[in-house]
Amino acid sequence: MSRGETIAETHDLEIGYRRKRSITVMDHLSLKARRGELVALIGRNGTGKSTLLRTLVGLQPALAGEVILDGTSLHETGSAQLPRIVSFVSTEPLALRNIKVRDVVALGRFPYTNWIGTLTEADRTAVTAALEATGIARLENRSIDNISDGEKQRTLIARSLAQDTGLLVMDEPTAFLDLPSRYGIVSLLRRLTREKGKCVIYSTHDLETAINEADRIWLMTEEGVCEGAPEDLILNGSLARAFESPLLSFSISDGTFSFVRDRQSTIALEGRGKAAKLTARALARCGYTTDTDAVRKVKLLEGSHKTEWIITDGSREERYTSLYDLVADLQRTDH
Amino acid sequence: MKAGSTRLAFSLAGLFLLMLLLFMADMLIGSTQMAAHDVLRALFGTGSAGDELIVMQFRLPKALTAILAGAAMSVSGLLMQTLFRNPLAGPDVMGVSSGAGLGVALTLLTLTPLFTLAEGSILSGWGVILAAWAGAGAVMLIIMAVSARMRDIMTVLIIGMLLASAISAVVSLMQYFSNEVMLRTYVIWTMGNLGNISYPQIRALALATMAGLAIAFTMVKPLNAILMGETFSRTVGVRMQRTRIVLLASASILAGSVTAFCGPLAFIGVAVPHIARLLFGTTDHRILLPATALAGAVILLLSDIISVLPGGGQVIPVNTVTSLIGIPVVLWIILGKTGLGRRF
Repeated sequence: MSRGETIAETHDLEIGYRRKRSITVMDHLSLKARRGELVALIGRNGTGKSTLLRTLVGLQPALAGEVILDGTSLHETGSAQLPRIVSFVSTEPLALRNIKVRDVVALGRFPYTNWIGTLTEADRTAVTAALEATGIARLENRSIDNISDGEKQRTLIARSLAQDTGLLVMDEPTAFLDLPSRYGIVSLLRRLTREKGKCVIYSTHDLETAINEADRIWLMTEEGVCEGAPEDLILNGSLARAFESPLLSFSISDGTFSFVRDRQSTIALEGRGKAAKLTARALARCGYTTDTDAVRKVKLLEGSHKTEWIITDGSREERYTSLYDLVADLQRTDH
Repeated sequence: MKAGSTRLAFSLAGLFLLMLLLFMADMLIGSTQMAAHDVLRALFGTGSAGDELIVMQFRLPKALTAILAGAAMSVSGLLMQTLFRNPLAGPDVMGVSSGAGLGVALTLLTLTPLFTLAEGSILSGWGVILAAWAGAGAVMLIIMAVSARMRDIMTVLIIGMLLASAISAVVSLMQYFSNEVMLRTYVIWTMGNLGNISYPQIRALALATMAGLAIAFTMVKPLNAILMGETFSRTVGVRMQRTRIVLLASASILAGSVTAFCGPLAFIGVAVPHIARLLFGTTDHRILLPATALAGAVILLLSDIISVLPGGGQVIPVNTVTSLIGIPVVLWIILGKTGLGRRF
């Protein structure tokens, strides 16, 4: 049970679907995840992230190769044992009304309760602990349809936590959430790995949080999967290769993608501080790069309450009270 | 938590008492006016021969049948709603009753000539029940196959209705080619009646209902997991294939047995589980299952009492009453604030 011990690994795994003939989504997957690690599975749509996760938790069979969870091959793990090793939060929406948050979380105790599902004292303690760890203890008696989407996601994570498994697998737990809830969920997942020694593997489209928070990234591309620390993948260029497109460029220093702009012309910027940074940003958005030698110049006049901008191009001077007006006017005169 | 479960236990006990009260009321009310003490005396075998005949041969079997049929149809509906994750699922809505009817029709219209033509010889036995189970089970399997492919509730419902129409067309065809005696037996059956049931039939119905309910009760834990979705159920160790088969068997036995003896009872199966959810405010099948069974018995007893009430010796078909009770509930589900958004 010690941190750092390998809890999930795949050897030459081939994932896909077995219909009339097998459809391989991806093969030769050899991946690893350890206890106490937050693993982010990223990749573009259609690369097979869900298929990999579902194969990992035993919901669909591997076409070849093997999955080893907690030292035992998935083939050899009994259907009674597996729910005590790995829990799964899918993208399946909750289709229930009239059920209390606490009762949803209590269903996570399913593998441990008797035939009729009676909760023992130990089960209740585990449920309470899961509610507290996910920060929803105060909502325990609320009905699931009276809480926010972020809180619903926390309820499902708490249910997974109540299942008391070393490995927690989640398919896009931050989809459809607003920005603060997204960060909230990822920092919760991170806390679970740090404080409870869990291994959490989650798929996401939110590159920025994955790069900033995950210990390990499984990056799925059409060519295969690379794994490593986020910085490893930035350094060897595989992250940039996986997501770069004519519209996006990758910045190595801060690990973020940004739009590729058509650079139109240059402009000088005089000023300091937050206002100057935001001015540069607004100018960049409209295709102006700042250059101290440029003929045209934007000057900031910072008053005690408000900021004003002046554009000079040698002969003419124009004054603006907002960045919106400034940028709009610039674009008008240049077109 | 403890206080909550005590309250629920009291509510269940209250519902049980209500059922007993209505059971008594159902015995007191009939097309023949009879005083309460006469009914009681007849029950204990000290009444007049005429009273005893009415009470023991007509009223008691009818009231017993109402309890059994109400509980069985409602629980069948509950199992189907959870299994198909569809609030409008029910044995009658999805053609399961029609399937059972087809089984009965096949037995009555084709097998009757092979045996004695005496009415009841086949109806009393397990032949009809087995045929009804087979018919109900076959429709269940078709619905199951469809709902595995179509996640859309409306599609599954429409296919259920088409199936019901197709079956009734087949039955009409069979009626066309059958003789008068067979036809009469069949038509009496289709009227949907709680009253024409003999004690051997009640015994069969009681056994089947008990078996169906017992099987259902062993499944309360997986039923609760299924509410969370199939993926979740599988990842916590529910063996879905096995669970599905057991639940379908239980629902088919319950709905099939009732349909075999009482004809197609409308709307009980779809409406009562919702009434139970509303009354008990829970989705936990440990409570919901007994609550639905009791509520079903109560509502069918009530329907039977109402069907006699118009007075003047007139008895309206119990199906009419159950429809009048059930249809508003179904409308409430469709028009309610949550609509049909795959919710319970």
